Amino acid sequence: MTISPVAAELRSEDVSVWFGERQVLKDVNLTFRANRVTALIGPSGCGKSTFLRTLNRMHELIPSAGLAGSILLDGKDIYDPSVNPVDVRMEIGMVFQKPNPFPTMSIRDNVLSGLKLSGLRVDNKDELLETSLKRASIWNEVKDRLGEPATALSGGQQQRLCIARSLAMNPKVLLMDEPCSALDPGSTRRIEATIEELSESMTIVIVTHNMQQAQRVSHETAFFLADENTPGGVVEFGSTEQVFGQPIDERTNDYVNGHFG
Amino acid sequence: MEKVVADPRPAKQPWNKSSKLASFTGGRGFADATLITLAFLLAAVVFGLLLSVLWSVVSAGAGAMSPQFLYQNNRYISTTTSLDYGGVGHAILGTLWLVLLATMVALPLGLAIAVYLTQSQSKLRNLVRSITQALAGLPSVVSGLFVLSIISFLGAQKSGIFGALALFPLMLPTVARVAEEALRLVPADLRLAALGLGAPNYRAFFQVILPAAKSGIITALLLGLARVVGETAPLILTIQANNGTNLNPFDGGVATLPTYIYGFISAGYASSITRAWGASLVLLILVGILFITARLLTADKKKKKAKK
Amino acid sequence: MPKEAVRRKLGTGVLNRGDRLFFGITSAASYFAFILVALILVFLIAQAFPALKDQGLAFVYGSTWEVTPEKAVMQIGPMLYGSVLIALLGVLLATPMAIATAYLIVFILPKSPAKLATNLIDLLAALPSVIIGLWGVLVFTPIAQGWADFLHKNLGWIPLFATDKGTTSLNSSPFIAGWIVAVMIVPIITSVTREIFSQFDRELINGALALGATRWTVFRRVILPTASGGITGGVLLGLGRAIGETVAIYYVLQLSMKINFFQILEPRGGAIASWILSRFGEATEAEFHGLMAAGLVIFITTLVINLIANIIVNRAQPWRK
Repeated sequence: MTISPVAAELRSEDVSVWFGERQVLKDVNLTFRANRVTALIGPSGCGKSTFLRTLNRMHELIPSAGLAGSILLDGKDIYDPSVNPVDVRMEIGMVFQKPNPFPTMSIRDNVLSGLKLSGLRVDNKDELLETSLKRASIWNEVKDRLGEPATALSGGQQQRLCIARSLAMNPKVLLMDEPCSALDPGSTRRIEATIEELSESMTIVIVTHNMQQAQRVSHETAFFLADENTPGGVVEFGSTEQVFGQPIDERTNDYVNGHFG
Repeated sequence: MEKVVADPRPAKQPWNKSSKLASFTGGRGFADATLITLAFLLAAVVFGLLLSVLWSVVSAGAGAMSPQFLYQNNRYISTTTSLDYGGVGHAILGTLWLVLLATMVALPLGLAIAVYLTQSQSKLRNLVRSITQALAGLPSVVSGLFVLSIISFLGAQKSGIFGALALFPLMLPTVARVAEEALRLVPADLRLAALGLGAPNYRAFFQVILPAAKSGIITALLLGLARVVGETAPLILTIQANNGTNLNPFDGGVATLPTYIYGFISAGYASSITRAWGASLVLLILVGILFITARLLTADKKKKKAKK
Repeated sequence: MPKEAVRRKLGTGVLNRGDRLFFGITSAASYFAFILVALILVFLIAQAFPALKDQGLAFVYGSTWEVTPEKAVMQIGPMLYGSVLIALLGVLLATPMAIATAYLIVFILPKSPAKLATNLIDLLAALPSVIIGLWGVLVFTPIAQGWADFLHKNLGWIPLFATDKGTTSLNSSPFIAGWIVAVMIVPIITSVTREIFSQFDRELINGALALGATRWTVFRRVILPTASGGITGGVLLGLGRAIGETVAIYYVLQLSMKINFFQILEPRGGAIASWILSRFGEATEAEFHGLMAAGLVIFITTLVINLIANIIVNRAQPWRK
């Protein structure tokens, strides 16, 4: 794969997921359009986080994991036997629920860790460092303390550092798994603003439990639901305006209006 | 194990001293008082025995202690020579050298097993864990006999390298187990973060997981060393004694602290027994240093974790 | 048209060369653990074979060990039996002490003394057996001899504490060796028991006490029944260790081929590992193979005990997985 500077379209076709013999997702068909922010919403246990992890092959790190269907990045199947999962993860970045900077590294090393970890070489590291931190809107707060350990930062700053760390790899797609759930409202706002700016240069998929957040940041929304003892799936997928304003499915209506979940 | 119903009292009632005392002094009846008394008595026996060992070694060993005892070797010393001459310098060096040789194999191998047990997705993991545990119960004399049979098979001469080889199977399971625990303490998040950035597993391990587990790995090393530094039977079976200093692992005998102690107890004279005590004190100090450093490292790690 | 979803093979794809090497090396190291056990078995069997073929089954149960340059009769019955006797004595002495210590550490002592006690017990586990042996023969034996005299004088009518006619000093006996072994296995049993005890909710047990239950009933009806499985595993681990113990027993026990069934105060007993050490120095070619056979017996015995023990301990501590 070659790295293209522009955002890419990501598509799932008939994706089903298992843990052991238990099927947790069935026939998920979604298209994440380039430069768009798509929110995945739904009650706990509906499989949305699991689905997110299938999008950059993190899912298969769980020993009993199983999968059917395809994930296409600009039309190319990322699960093809000829594809190295490492390359996939370099193009499709991920930000986790809990901020997880590398505790043994400085702020600077954290941002540049992706390069070292994937064995990439870059001519101007300082420039990349600055750009990445600026894109994650944390540059001003850390520019004078780049040598300090990352653990010295606050939770919100750590999360933005983790975003900067992903951005330094210049991914086409950024997956975010409830990135604000562990943060205070101020930090949440800042990250949401960052997401909006980032969508200009990449495709973003964000899992969130927060309806307001989904409405604030996303262009499109997919509603996941799992009935008892049946695998989860997508109930409704459309523009965020439509899904929250005029949901077609009754269950979506109940959920977005806070009747359950 | 079942967790039974919740405690009906308000959360975390401090356990004040007087109520504790009441429970000791039979406030709850005869059976309780007996139980507590018995428990304290039995534990007192354990700690009494331990303190007796420690005190005996320190007090009797001090009688042999002198600078020369620590650095001189044993050449020209008979079992009855006055304590003004000769020492365990050669045995200290020999012990450290053999243990180091064993470590050079046991540490990477033990670490690799720990990595396999924590990072791989293989179905054989439980089997590997069982066999490593079983190896932890390997009697040291058997390890010695095993290497002795290798020596006999090869038609080789006993030498230091075989002593190190006999220590290796004893050290391996300790290193593997403690290193596995250390790697397990590293949050899974970090590994996922590294892999999520496009790191291959080996880079994620060497650049993220290993640095985060550093102190735990050192603990594994120290406990592995402590496990074998005092081993006697395997060395008696696989190396020749030596009164002088010899660090050539392929030729000649090598003196070690445990075999030195063994030899001088067996001699049975008052001065030789004192030498044995003296060497025991040195060995005890070595074990103590390894053990205490390991504990401090672990405590440090736990404190850091608690702070988070 | 509903089509059957085909599960794809995961975790495949092109692996980095570095990762292939990484997993290759770690797997190889892990398989080496098997190979090591197999190698030990193969080498010991090969060296033991001539003796076993010569001596037949009597090697295990007979009680003669006569080696001359012309012929060798090698039988380890009394040593094997003695090892088991001493190990059982050691376990019998160590188990109550270990349970008591673990009970105090987990349920009674405040945090910092409990931590100190834990560390001391672990230090005890780290003491080299040659030091325990030296202490055992010079410091402990005179003390234990006093205990033995007391037992013999007051309870000598019980066969267990009886001695042969003419025995005067009650040292170098299985009784003393049992104590020495107990000192060495107390830490093993304590640490397994402590792990299991610490899974009980201390607040909960204090709550039960506050509601009027006695410590004794809680211990007897709640703690002990739940923990007994795991403690058994710990005891077996101790048993394995005891059977393999060599140097410490070598100093404190009078090894004898005249079997001592149960007179634990009699200065005469057996310990197979110590026997190997005692004969090894001047062993002839034939005897060398006999001692290897004795080692093989220890290895197989302890391997079986340890495998069973670990299965029990692992099952009792599911949280370790």
